[in-house]
Amino acid sequence: MSTLDGPSLRERLRAGTAAVLVPETERDRARRRIAVLAVPFLALATFGAFVPVAVMVRMSLSTSNFRIEGVALDAYRELFASILAFVPVLGSGIEVNAVYGSVIWNSLWFGVLTTVASVVVGIAIAHGLEKYDLPAEGLLVTLISFPISLPGIVAAFMMIVWFGKTGVLTNFLAFLSGADPGALQLTGQPSGTLLAVLGLFFGYLYSMIPRATFLLRGTYAEVNTDAEEAARSLGATPWQTFRYVTLPQIRPGIVGALILTFRTALAIFGTVLVLKALSVVTFRFDQEIKVGFDLAMASALATVFFAFTVAFTFLGLRYTSAEVTG
Amino acid sequence: MTDPSRGEDGAQPSSRPRPDGGATVSGDGADAPGRPAGYGSVPDRRPGALSRVTARLGRTAITGLIAATVVFLIAPVVITVAASFAREWTGLFPSGGFTLENWKQALGLAQTLGAQRGLGSVSLSLLGLSVTIPFATLVFSMALALGGVAINLVVGVPIAYAVTRYDFYGQGWLNTVAVLPVVPGIILGIAFLRTYSHLPSAVALVIGYSLLKAPYMVLAVQSSFESMDLRQIEESARSLGASWPRTFLTVILPNAKRGIVSGAIVCWTLAAAEFNFSYIVYSRGPKPFSLFLFENISNNPFLRVAAAVSIYFCIVVAVTALLQATGQRGFSIGGAR
Repeated sequence: MSTLDGPSLRERLRAGTAAVLVPETERDRARRRIAVLAVPFLALATFGAFVPVAVMVRMSLSTSNFRIEGVALDAYRELFASILAFVPVLGSGIEVNAVYGSVIWNSLWFGVLTTVASVVVGIAIAHGLEKYDLPAEGLLVTLISFPISLPGIVAAFMMIVWFGKTGVLTNFLAFLSGADPGALQLTGQPSGTLLAVLGLFFGYLYSMIPRATFLLRGTYAEVNTDAEEAARSLGATPWQTFRYVTLPQIRPGIVGALILTFRTALAIFGTVLVLKALSVVTFRFDQEIKVGFDLAMASALATVFFAFTVAFTFLGLRYTSAEVTG
Repeated sequence: MTDPSRGEDGAQPSSRPRPDGGATVSGDGADAPGRPAGYGSVPDRRPGALSRVTARLGRTAITGLIAATVVFLIAPVVITVAASFAREWTGLFPSGGFTLENWKQALGLAQTLGAQRGLGSVSLSLLGLSVTIPFATLVFSMALALGGVAINLVVGVPIAYAVTRYDFYGQGWLNTVAVLPVVPGIILGIAFLRTYSHLPSAVALVIGYSLLKAPYMVLAVQSSFESMDLRQIEESARSLGASWPRTFLTVILPNAKRGIVSGAIVCWTLAAAEFNFSYIVYSRGPKPFSLFLFENISNNPFLRVAAAVSIYFCIVVAVTALLQATGQRGFSIGGAR
């Protein structure tokens, strides 16, 4: 670091530190207050997140599955070979188990599908709650927010209540059609089958619709209703008003909701663990950690997963029109 | 998509001259092909088929969707609570009458076959006295979550004040990091496995809970701070002779009490229910409540699981009632996860 601005930077740092420790002007005192207020959070972020994540990245380079020793890219090599092997044309000649490619692909397509579905439903619900005079609106808001407090395993159990073998909807449909409930149940089916994935789809929606709704409610609260009323009184139909007046205003909020809901979708774990309907990345972690203890591989997969989430969240929030008003 | 209003439209030509003399576009104004979508385009004056359908059915459809969503979200909760009191449940309705047996087994008050799956009581021998703590799992979990909340208060309230009251370099980034949970629970769990493997599970869990739930505290407190004129309050107190720490502790904080209380309640509940992180990190010692729920869900018969899950519902309902008292509508603050 023997560049030309080195000494001046050090000088500035020393001056800045001195100003924070022994403030002389009011501006320095404000700086000291900000530092004091931010220190507890930064300490928690350091020891709760930065250090563990750094150790995790280091662990993913370890040559041992149990402790940190040596530096090797074995885990990453295996991971990316597996991803490549999953790609249809490129990977046809690669003799590697494509399991990681397949779990990543499952996470991505299923996450996109459930995100789009829950944001669309969320827009409709937020629209209705904001624009219509619904009876007991406060109660509706409370009820829709209820699942936010439920862990994924409970969401999965709620799906068993609806769609399991003894489930209410399963038995209702079986009663109507005369079919065996076992053929209609959406939970407890073999992993990867259409019925099982459909059950998991509803399980994801159970957690994601309330979150998407409340992200979008914040956006809707800021819509300029004067413009909508003007459009309506000038003869626009409700759909035209929504399409040309409301939608342009809420578009940044929708992009923000899509980004954050997709994050939620990728990180869902408990629901998959109970329903065992589709092998996604989070479910693979359970296999790596609890079934066979391969911490190096789990760390490598977690590092890739984490880098991906951070990248798309921050790039998404920064370089698209996304706005988050929770 | 079938279009009920297409019938009335049949006689009209699909392509008409526009009143303003512009290019004629066939089909619906809103979805016309070849026209750039977005802000600049001028909509067709004549409402298209989609417009007519939504004008007639839109409100009904959206109201219906809201009703369906509420039923989809809440009905299984009601059914679960009902099932927890049933002796048998085959087919559509419970049968066999009312019983408390499921609850007793879930709470660990009645003996069950197999490994202990209830909220077992723990007997401690202290100085020759044998003390039995009922619902040990529940109490332990509540205490862990409380530890997380304590850290959140110390960490979340100051940072919320800093980013709301002051302008400084990096404020935007700090705000984003404080409000967005950057690390998902399961990733943090894997990161903790190596880093804090020598710590007791309980300590690692408390640290993790406080980090994972901090955004909710920051959001709640921030919304309180944003409704106050912080600069004016601070300057009034300072001009009356209060030091800055005194201003912060005795003037600012009491004014933000509502946000702090609701943030603490939300954090506590979400920490008590945190599963993804607990599942990976937990190794020894008393079990967190969410793991007890998981063991129930994966091992036990339906009705007993219903009772175990209902215990959690009772907690959430009580907490929601508390939140209403502080002016929050349920867990709506948790939307920005």
